[in-house]
Amino acid sequence: MIDSIKYKIQICCGTMCYIMGGAELHLLNDHLPSNLKDKVSIEGIPCIGKCDTKEKHHPCVKINGEELNNATSQKIVKQLLTLENNDLL
Amino acid sequence: MTYYNNAVITKHELLVRLIQLLDTNKLLDDIDRIPLEMRPRTNSPIRCCVHKDRAVIKYKLMALLGFNIADEQHELTPLKEYAEQALEGYTQNGNFLTVVDEACSSCVQVNYTVSNLCQGCEGRPCQVNCPKDAIMVLNGKANIDHQKCVNCGICQKACPFHAIAYLPVPCEESCPVKAIRKNADGIEEIDFDKCIHCGKCMTACPFGAISEKSQILNLFNNIKHKKEKTVAMVAPAILSQFKASSAQILNSIKAVGFDEVMEVAEGANMTTDHETNELLERLNSGATFMTTSCCPSYIEFSEKHAPELKPFISDTPSPMAYTAMLAKKRFPEHKAVFIGPCLAKRTEVYQNQNIDYVITTEELGAVFAALKFDLVKTDDSPIVSKVVRPESRGYAASGGVTNAIKTILSSEHNITTELIDGIDKKSIRLLRSLPNKKVTDASFYEVMACDGGCINGPVNVSPLKVSQNKLKKAIQEIQSEEAAV
Repeated sequence: MIDSIKYKIQICCGTMCYIMGGAELHLLNDHLPSNLKDKVSIEGIPCIGKCDTKEKHHPCVKINGEELNNATSQKIVKQLLTLENNDLL
Repeated sequence: MTYYNNAVITKHELLVRLIQLLDTNKLLDDIDRIPLEMRPRTNSPIRCCVHKDRAVIKYKLMALLGFNIADEQHELTPLKEYAEQALEGYTQNGNFLTVVDEACSSCVQVNYTVSNLCQGCEGRPCQVNCPKDAIMVLNGKANIDHQKCVNCGICQKACPFHAIAYLPVPCEESCPVKAIRKNADGIEEIDFDKCIHCGKCMTACPFGAISEKSQILNLFNNIKHKKEKTVAMVAPAILSQFKASSAQILNSIKAVGFDEVMEVAEGANMTTDHETNELLERLNSGATFMTTSCCPSYIEFSEKHAPELKPFISDTPSPMAYTAMLAKKRFPEHKAVFIGPCLAKRTEVYQNQNIDYVITTEELGAVFAALKFDLVKTDDSPIVSKVVRPESRGYAASGGVTNAIKTILSSEHNITTELIDGIDKKSIRLLRSLPNKKVTDASFYEVMACDGGCINGPVNVSPLKVSQNKLKKAIQEIQSEEAAV
C-alpha cells in the first residue's frame, strides 16, 4: 500500500495547551475538508514546552514538524490548504 | 451544547496564574498584577476600554477566591486582602455560584430588536399586529418601545423582511428552573431558593460573568505546605478529561501532593449493589418506578421543585458518599477531597461531613499546567486497588448506571429502563408527570442533569466527543488488566 499521508499533525497534549484550547483540536478530523481527510494524520504528543503564560503561545501544534502557535482547528485547516495549494503550483 | 469559547480560556488562565503565583510563593505580592498582565494596554480592549477589562478580571478573580461583589466593603481593597482570606478558606453558605456584576453585560431587557433590514414598508404588519402598541416608526424604521414590549414575538413573525431578530439572554435561556433573572439594575441575579447548581448558566454566558466559588487556593496551600494530610477521591469522569492513561492521571494527582488517591468508581461498586437490591425490593412492594440518586443536581431539583418525586428516588448513597465512607475508614486522619466534573457536588459535599473539599476538572488541569506536569511522561503503573469494576468507571457517561445495574440483574428480572439525559424544560415535564402515573413506561429511570452524563459536566476541559472516547479507553484499561490476570 502506498502511504498517502502527506501532513503529519502533532497536537501538544501538555496540560497547559490542553486546557487552553488544545482539547478542542482533537476534533480536528471533523473540520477537515474531504480532499484533505486521507492525507492527514493526527496524533497527540507530549509537552513541547510552549507553556509560558506571558508569551501565550498555547495551544501549540506541529504540522510536518513546523510549529503553529495559538492553534485553532480553523487555523490548522487554513495552513494545510496553503501547503496543499503551494504543492500544486 | 456550548461551543468552545474565549471566556472559558480566560477562566482557565486565571486559575493557572493563581496557582503559579501560589506555587512560587508570590501570590500575595503579585495577585494585583494579574489584571494588568492579562489585559495589557497594548491589546485592543474586549469591552469599552482596557480599564473595564481589568476590572472584570479583578472581579472574576475575586469570585474564584470565593467572594461576591456584595462582599466588597471598599472599592480600593486590593485583591491581596481577599487572597489572604481565601488561603484560610472562605465560609461556605451552600451557594456556590456568583454573578460577577462587572462582567455581566446586562443583556437585552427586551428580546426583540429591529435590524437595519427594516424597509419601513407601508403594510407595517409589525405595528398593526402588536398587542401592546409598542412599535413606532421613526425615520422610516420600526422601533420597539422597551417600556411597552412584553416579548410576545408577534412582530417577528409578522415581518415579511425578517427584519426583527430575537436576541436571547443566554444564561436565562439555559436555566432549566428559571433561577436566574435580572434585578432592578439589569444585572442577573441567581435565586438560590430555585438554583439546582447544574452549572448551565455558567457555561452559557459568553461574558464568563457567572463564576463558581473555588476552594482551590485554600486546598493547594495546605497541600503545598503539608498542613494536613489529604486523600483525593477521583471521579471516573476525570479519567476522560486528560490525554493520558488512567493510571498516569491518578499517579499525577498523587504527585501533586495528595497523600492518598482513591477512585470514586470504587464507591460506585457499592452504589450498584445497593441500588440493584433496593430497586428489586421497591418493585416487589408495589412501587411503579425508581430513579437514580447519584446526580446531586437532580436531587437538588427534586428538593426545590418536585417534592412529589422524592419517594421515588433511590435512598442509595452516591458513589462519592460511599467512597468518602471508605476513605474515613481507611484514612481517618486525612481530609477528603473530591475531584470531579461537577458543580452540584459542591452542595452535596456541603451536606456531607465526610468530605472537606471539592475541586473541579478545570482546577485540577490548572494545577497540572501550573506545575508543568507532563501527564504522558508520568509513571503508568496502576496505583489504585484492583476492585474497581469496569462498569463503575462507566458511571461517568449517561447510561452508565443502568448498564452497571443490568450486569448484576439476572435475566429473569424483567426490568425496563429509561434514560433521562439532561435536565431541561422537556425532561422536567416528564419527571413531574411520573409520580401521578399508574403505569410508567419504565421501572428504572436514570437521571443525569448534564446531557451525556458527568463527562459533559460544566467544569470539564475536554469536549464531549473526546471525553467519550477517552472514557471508553479508561474502561478498557480495567478490562485488559482483568484479562491479563
